[in-house]
Amino acid sequence: MNPRAAIATRALSKRYRDVLAVDALGLNVRCGEIYGFLGRNGAGKTTTIRMLLGLIRPTSGDVELLGKPVQPGTTGVFAHVGYLVESATAYPNLTVRENLDIQRRLTRAPRASVTKAIDLMRLGPHADRRAGVLSLGNKQRLSLARALLNKPELLILDEPANALDPSGIVEVRELLRSLAREHGVTVFMSSHILAEVAHLADRIGIVHEGRLLEELDREELHARERLYVEVGASDPERAATLLAAAGFAHVERTDGRLRVFDAEERVPEIARLLVGSGLDVTNLAQVHEDLEAHFLRITGGAE
Amino acid sequence: MFAHVLATEFLKLRRSKVTWLSLVALSLGQLGMALMMWIVRDPGRATQLGLLGTKANLSGLTATWPAYSGVLTLLVGMGGMLLLPFLVAYLFGREYTDGTAKNLLALPVGRHQFALAKLAVAAVWWAALVVVVVAEAFALGLLLGLPDFSMALAVQAVRNALVAAAVAYLLAPAVAWIALLGRGYMLPLGFALAMLALGQVFSKTGWAAWFPWSIIPLWIGSVGQPAAALAPASLAVVAVTFLAGVAAVIAQLRFADNAQ
Repeated sequence: MNPRAAIATRALSKRYRDVLAVDALGLNVRCGEIYGFLGRNGAGKTTTIRMLLGLIRPTSGDVELLGKPVQPGTTGVFAHVGYLVESATAYPNLTVRENLDIQRRLTRAPRASVTKAIDLMRLGPHADRRAGVLSLGNKQRLSLARALLNKPELLILDEPANALDPSGIVEVRELLRSLAREHGVTVFMSSHILAEVAHLADRIGIVHEGRLLEELDREELHARERLYVEVGASDPERAATLLAAAGFAHVERTDGRLRVFDAEERVPEIARLLVGSGLDVTNLAQVHEDLEAHFLRITGGAE
Repeated sequence: MFAHVLATEFLKLRRSKVTWLSLVALSLGQLGMALMMWIVRDPGRATQLGLLGTKANLSGLTATWPAYSGVLTLLVGMGGMLLLPFLVAYLFGREYTDGTAKNLLALPVGRHQFALAKLAVAAVWWAALVVVVVAEAFALGLLLGLPDFSMALAVQAVRNALVAAAVAYLLAPAVAWIALLGRGYMLPLGFALAMLALGQVFSKTGWAAWFPWSIIPLWIGSVGQPAAALAPASLAVVAVTFLAGVAAVIAQLRFADNAQ
């Protein structure tokens, strides 16, 4: 394994009876980077995160965090790791401050860290309210505050933007960016908000049916973004034939529409060709295929 | 570090309604027993009170300190078989029903410390409940002016109650293990009820001294005359059940998958 990796897994697998939830996953998350872990529901993201944290035992394979092997019962390395798994949870009868004080005691963080975490996550007005009466968004803030309390070197966050309002999402994005850029914190985050990951992550891993399909860094991601001209015509089959004959080499048909690639400079020519051939043109637009479209395409589309 | 873990567990207990409800339940139980004694002491009043008086008379109790102290042992024993498992199920199971267990399992703290701290908290709270109920029993007994009191009887009553409480506590880690296994309250509560029923059944057989959950019924006399002393075999069985329970709790936290 890479000694400089913040997270390294080798052939990590988890099988539940006849379901292979994670299949030979090899991750290498570099120190100081923000790594977006993308996958559809049931892709194996949370199972992977549980194995990273030693909450469940891998069927096979190994995990290392900050260069230390992790398995159920590992303790030492978690002094330097903050995490949020699945839903935001807290002791409902305890106040926000008391919930954080429990985390402070268990991570041996200084007393002042509780107030700092409350301020950082803007929980001041709720500090002495019971966690059980908090809104979902504030519970999420409390969970993030808990994860940040011990000034971790590595943050492992499962859907950190869950339940946050748009301004909260931006706030958390800026916070994570600042932690990574200014304090060298490594952030590993799973998310279903693909645009969010695209905005934030230095690298993205796409997981599907337990397998890591693709790892892209920011430059590769931009290189994968595709520009095409979407064409709607009264007779798509004839339109495709006409376009091919006119020298448009890359034409794809999807849902009764055509995608014409490498044609962004030739939109007027397409319009003239189709209209001149007696076809009705119902749509003609330049489309930028973003991460979401790329993700849907490689994971088999929306179901 | 264990002191910190213990402090967090006490904080959770202090803020919980279950803590105070358990105190109210056991105190009301003792109050009910004293009320029954009060009715039994005066049959005329029992008749005036109708059904409650009839039930109290049917129980065959006499309103004396020896009978009253037997009732105290019975209450502590039954509390130990029902209320204590409920408390232990709550202490361990709530971490799963509230979804907070995952927050305890990836920390720079050995998981066994949470198991031991929760068991220590259960011990302290159970001991406090027993002290309160024994004190309440004596206060109410003196208030009722029951006959045949002696210091020797008082010492015997306290001893009997404490033995019942201690045996009940030694069986509690098994309930904690079931709570971890079932990740919640329901399974351990079902287990406690099943053991209560099985304990009553086994206590009428030749295996009574060997079945852990029959030892309290034998001691408190819920199925016959109370035993004068615990058989050495019973002491060994209870000790083994305790050690096996603690080991199972630690192993479950340490080695089993803890997905919620």
